[in-house]
Amino acid sequence: MYWTIIQLSLRELRANKMRTILTALGIIIGVMAVIILVTLGNGFTAQITKEFEGIGQNLIFVSPDSNNGPNRARVVPFDMRDVDAIRRGVPGIEFVAPSNGSGGRVVYGNVNHDTVVIGSTNEYFKVRLWVFEMGREFTEGELAAGKPVCIIGKTVRDTLFGAQNPLGLKIRVENVSCEVIGLLAPKGQTTFGNDEDDRILMPLRTYQRRIVGNSDVATIQVAVANGQDAQAVIDGLRSLLRQRRSVPEGEPDNFSIDQVSAFLGEVQNVLGIMTMFVGAIAFVSLIVGGIGIMNIMLVSVTERTREIGIRLAIGAQQKDVLWQFLIEAMILGLLGGIAGIVIGLGLSVLITGLMGVPFIPSIGIIVFAAVFSALFGIVFGFFPALRASRLNPIEALRYE
Amino acid sequence: MNMQTGTAANMRNATGTQAPLIAFDRVMKVYGHGDAEVRALDGVSFEINRGEFVAIMGASGSGKSTTLNILGCLDVPSAGSYRFMGAAVETLDRAQRAMLRQRYLGFVFQGFNLLKRTTALENVELPMIYMGLSARERRKRAREALAKVGLADRENHSSSELSGGQQQRVAIARALVTNPAVILADEPTGNLDSQRSHEIMRLFSDLNQRLKITILLVTHEEDIAAYAPRHMRFKDGRIASDETRA
Ligand SMILES: Nc1ncnc2c1ncn2[C@@H]1O[C@H](COP(=O)(O)OP(=O)(O)OP(=O)(O)O)[C@@H](O)[C@H]1O
Ligand SMILES: [Mg+2]
Repeated sequence: MYWTIIQLSLRELRANKMRTILTALGIIIGVMAVIILVTLGNGFTAQITKEFEGIGQNLIFVSPDSNNGPNRARVVPFDMRDVDAIRRGVPGIEFVAPSNGSGGRVVYGNVNHDTVVIGSTNEYFKVRLWVFEMGREFTEGELAAGKPVCIIGKTVRDTLFGAQNPLGLKIRVENVSCEVIGLLAPKGQTTFGNDEDDRILMPLRTYQRRIVGNSDVATIQVAVANGQDAQAVIDGLRSLLRQRRSVPEGEPDNFSIDQVSAFLGEVQNVLGIMTMFVGAIAFVSLIVGGIGIMNIMLVSVTERTREIGIRLAIGAQQKDVLWQFLIEAMILGLLGGIAGIVIGLGLSVLITGLMGVPFIPSIGIIVFAAVFSALFGIVFGFFPALRASRLNPIEALRYE
Repeated sequence: MNMQTGTAANMRNATGTQAPLIAFDRVMKVYGHGDAEVRALDGVSFEINRGEFVAIMGASGSGKSTTLNILGCLDVPSAGSYRFMGAAVETLDRAQRAMLRQRYLGFVFQGFNLLKRTTALENVELPMIYMGLSARERRKRAREALAKVGLADRENHSSSELSGGQQQRVAIARALVTNPAVILADEPTGNLDSQRSHEIMRLFSDLNQRLKITILLVTHEEDIAAYAPRHMRFKDGRIASDETRA
């Protein structure tokens, strides 16, 4: 019996293709919007997460800071003694990479290029997960003596040398003539538009002596050893540095400690909320689509008054008519939902492809969209269906 | 519900000599209130037995359609009683009356009232869908019914592809297919030319004589009414005459 009514509904929908498509259009667009926005949100989140993992999951940044009371103006920098003290005095650490850096100009032949110049140690490559495409790390001797050698990123190489093998070539970094000893494998652009490959590295001591002329360390990057508690490391760093920098009890730190994974968590949170928010707006358009079904079903009931009269006269019960219209509305919703899912996923593949973001469809949201489109069909189809079933057969038959 | 139709079914199985198939007892039908009140039926009583063929006649507005609607359980009397197969229809609810229509009544309308964009066969199957018959049974009986009205070769034509006379035959097949006790026809030839009208009337006559189906038919035309042995004439909501040809 119900199967027969489903067939009746399908026949009615098939016989009026244009009306069917127009009615379902609202749901199609609503579902499409939900799918695309949530898929894009997922893609961005995954992309950014990957970038953070590229930086190093358990990385702690320590930098000097001025946010304490009396000597606010002066930021007391770190130096190598602080770094050594951390190496010796804080347990649970795998690497400590001191660095200092600034914008700087490099010159090769008649080519100038403005880039980021960083002085650091070999630990820098480990904590930031840099891989060498060619060449080598710094030697102990180069590090200790502050030799003029440098390791370049791919963008610097491309700009200065083109396809030429850069190893052994001399470039001028600010006022220092430097030999290129290594080339880093490219990491590409970040979501925020930074070119990670536009950088040049030299031994920290070289940078300190030849470029800036001091012995400051601007940032200390600390990689937490596998299986160690990052919070314990942070606590160790804090008490050690407070003591070394003579911060009195009760005063705030004059340095800051930031953890990448914590920051990542926050970013993921924000992105998650944004995805939900945008998805919710799209969901509203799904509701509007449901109301569209109700409108057209109401028109359709009026248009089909005589048909309903015929059905009632020849023995249809009210509930038969109710079910026919309800099932019609549900099928409309479901068809709209399925079409919306297919089109939405198709467009998501296209858009993520164009934006270079991974395509991550969420089964949850697909099921959600399918269920809600059918549900909205029923909810918004109920009133028109009820109205159809309550028609007076005599008046319905007389309706022109 | 079951009790009611049970009663009706028992009546149908009984020899039927003592109880008439249809009995109107001082039936009134009033539309509107106060000054706008219209007495469409003003105390109408009659009985119709199984197997009769009755033509209902009268001026426009005399209450013919109102009578047929009540007979067809589409409407109920404002006062008085209508017994169909022994059941007091005015005591039944909408669902129960729908059940009576489904099982025992067939309708033929002036405007044919077939479903659009639907084939002849599907139109004839429609009442059986609501009876819950299987697709195979529906198809078989719909074919037989179409054959009886002479449209075996038009099964898959949609209603728009059929002439008026053919559409009315499909409608008759649809009324016939459930083996009803009564067929009610409100001006079934009203939209047809004279030749088609007589073809349709011969068909009704044939169904009445060969299949013993009770037929009640509203018409304005004497030559159409002439096919029926019994003529009931309405005037201002009352029966003016009720004669059966010998
Ligand atoms: N729904 C209604 N509301 C108000 N008055 C009605 C309604 N239906 C019928 N009437 C009135 O009841 C009276 C009888 O109507 P009915 O339709 O039975 O006439 P009829 O004999 O079938 O006429 P016709 O030959 O024109 O079809 C008429 O005066 C009509 O105006
Ligand atoms: Mg009438």
